[in-house]
Amino acid sequence: MANSAEPRDLGAGVGTRPARSPRSFFRRWLLPALVIAAIAGAIWFLEYRQDGASYDPSGRRYGPVDLPASLAPADAAVEAEQGDFAPDFLLEQLSAGQVQLSDFRGHPVVLNFWATWCAPCRKEMPQFVDAYQRYKTDGLVLLAVDMQEGASIIQPFAQERGMNFPIALDRDGEVGDEYRLLGLPTTFFIDRGGLIRSVFTGPLEERTGDTNVQGAIEPGELEKRIAEIMTPAGAAGP
Amino acid sequence: MGLLTPPRALWWLLTNVRFAMALLAVLCGVSLAGVLIPQVPLNVRGDSAMEANWLDSQEGRFGLLTAAIDRIGLFDLFHTGWFAVLLALTAAATGAYILSRCPGVWLAITRPRKRVPDGYFENAPVRAQAEGPVNLSHLVRTLRGKRYRVEVTPEDEVTYLFADRFQWAQLGSLLTHAAVIVFILSAVVSKVDAFESPLFLAEGTTLPVFPVRNPEQLQVQLLDAHGEFAADGQPLDYRSDLAIYRNGEEVKRCSSTVNSPCSYAGYRFYQAAYYGFGAEVQVRDLATGNVVYQETLALAARQSSPHVVIANSAGQTVLDQTLVLTEELSAGDATYRGTLVTLPGGRLLTIGLRQTQDGADLAVFEPGSGGGTGIALLLAEGQTGEAGGLRVTYARQSMTPAADVADFPSPPEAAAGRALGEAKLQLSNVVYGTERASEGNAPAEPAGGPPLLTITGLGPKPMVLEPGQAATLAGYEYKFLGQREFAGIQVKRDRSDYLVWAAAALIVLGLMVTFWVPRRRLWARISSNGISLAGQAPAHADFARELRSLAAEAGARPVLTAEDDRA
Repeated sequence: MANSAEPRDLGAGVGTRPARSPRSFFRRWLLPALVIAAIAGAIWFLEYRQDGASYDPSGRRYGPVDLPASLAPADAAVEAEQGDFAPDFLLEQLSAGQVQLSDFRGHPVVLNFWATWCAPCRKEMPQFVDAYQRYKTDGLVLLAVDMQEGASIIQPFAQERGMNFPIALDRDGEVGDEYRLLGLPTTFFIDRGGLIRSVFTGPLEERTGDTNVQGAIEPGELEKRIAEIMTPAGAAGP
Repeated sequence: MGLLTPPRALWWLLTNVRFAMALLAVLCGVSLAGVLIPQVPLNVRGDSAMEANWLDSQEGRFGLLTAAIDRIGLFDLFHTGWFAVLLALTAAATGAYILSRCPGVWLAITRPRKRVPDGYFENAPVRAQAEGPVNLSHLVRTLRGKRYRVEVTPEDEVTYLFADRFQWAQLGSLLTHAAVIVFILSAVVSKVDAFESPLFLAEGTTLPVFPVRNPEQLQVQLLDAHGEFAADGQPLDYRSDLAIYRNGEEVKRCSSTVNSPCSYAGYRFYQAAYYGFGAEVQVRDLATGNVVYQETLALAARQSSPHVVIANSAGQTVLDQTLVLTEELSAGDATYRGTLVTLPGGRLLTIGLRQTQDGADLAVFEPGSGGGTGIALLLAEGQTGEAGGLRVTYARQSMTPAADVADFPSPPEAAAGRALGEAKLQLSNVVYGTERASEGNAPAEPAGGPPLLTITGLGPKPMVLEPGQAATLAGYEYKFLGQREFAGIQVKRDRSDYLVWAAAALIVLGLMVTFWVPRRRLWARISSNGISLAGQAPAHADFARELRSLAAEAGARPVLTAEDDRA
């Protein structure tokens, strides 16, 4: 390991100044400097890097928000779980303005997380379009939350497919994170009281006729889940 | 060793030069073995069935030793635990060496020994002597002219001199050793932190780089894919025009090739593959006007298609095209895949193809001809035959890109509701992606006409569509939006790149310092009788010659030693 060309050092001991261990330089100066630099770097990374957040015109940050106290008991569980109150959020809407989930309290809500790049989402979307047409007069709200895409991509897609329901843009994925998505599409069925009655991960693509598409659900499954949330608030427990 | 505590013993081992040399020798030998012995291919690793097959294929070469070689991991040497241990030991030994050397080197640089015992001038490996009066001030000027740091210490009747040059160069070898650690560290960082994700995109489509919910999510949109080919069909280059999105905003638009990837936020987007046979299809529900299906499908299968030329009795060519075969036909015991052809004047022929051991036979059927089988003509590839006043040539067999699509929307009225069924799509007259032409270099008006998409399985008759053309069937409109190309994009981020560059810089810097500016130290004892010089410098510095020259500069007469005579 040692360089054979390197002469043997004669060692110390004849110096004119009092001997001071060279290790002290590292301990006194270099090590503290490195530690300080590392801490400063960590602070910069955590605090000053862009988080990609966006805000509505009144300065409210888009993303998850606290569920208003008047909409749930103080000890109520607010989680993205069946039987719990659906976590609230404020998001930019594709058409214009913003949309807040809790504004739909009193309505049954089908909350669908999707993206245009997601093939199963594309497959199931016509069924949501049909279902919305059938039940919107009964107060059904279909809220499609697009994950981390921009309006330029979503707009033509939604227009071509007749998606005439609210489409929200979760640009940084924070709402998807709050709802602990395992993948796309994922659909939450929320009743009039704001409780999540069921969660479905994967495409709600119904099997029809003799066809046997892998992963397709039983005919009437979507209708059944919608019927569960259409019942008046308080008519059925979580 | 018996007196050493375990930590000290470990330290002794790691700082031992012989141990380090042995370690390096073992690493070199093992690495050489890894080069000479075939390693499990990347696409096979992790799949036990494929690995077993691959091992079987090695038995012809290694015979009975195959199992033993596999057991000690020599077929996957660079991923074995013991190889990682060897690397870690090398890094630890190098690190320990650097640490152990640091205090001494630092001391030698900042507080060098300025006075040596008189005996050292008699037995130093590099020394010189000269007799006669010495011009000390001239010697000091000469040394300072050569950028030596000089200190003179008079003592009684003798004057001692110490001169030092390039003292910081002593750090050179430490830099080179540090580079080894940084190289190994970069391998660790690469293993832990490197990100790689393959994307297969059709033109006009978008895919995310990370799994859903990743706050750093990026999306890649393929705007255009190009494949450039030589006249013999060899690919010359692939290129993809990409748009990259973050948080819903387009953040970069760039072109990516195999050797020149597009970069954004530390990620590199390499062109990894090209595929030209895709078809974009749209299905619209006529009742609502809504699109219910729009996909770009990769037609990855191949369907045999005969190119047939038919001339009438007057010698006029009435058909010259590659036929897309859409139906199963039976004739006697044989089964053909065929299609119905309408000739000018309304005459109908059914032309089928049957795969044989030697190729494929073309059968021409016409109602009322051919006896029991109904076959009027049976031709091998390249043959011509005549029947019913027609001269039929089976010019060649070609392959048409095809795909069976399991979840293609069936017409709602036929299925009494929305349904998905299996459809077969075949793309003929492809104008690019033919392994000779891409969208950018395909002829504007191809000789065979525009690409044709044939869809079967939806209704009683096949649907044949040109780009932009639509056909309605029982409540749905099926539209062929055009032929599309695909690109494979490999997204990579490896922050160990920076460490590799740093390590390379350290090695170069260390070697330059060591060999170009070797540290020189010299001690002189000057008396009325003459001057004795002793020095230390790496062997390649030829310091002995410099010492003799200095003695001469000082005005004394050099005394030749036995070593000088040998030199």
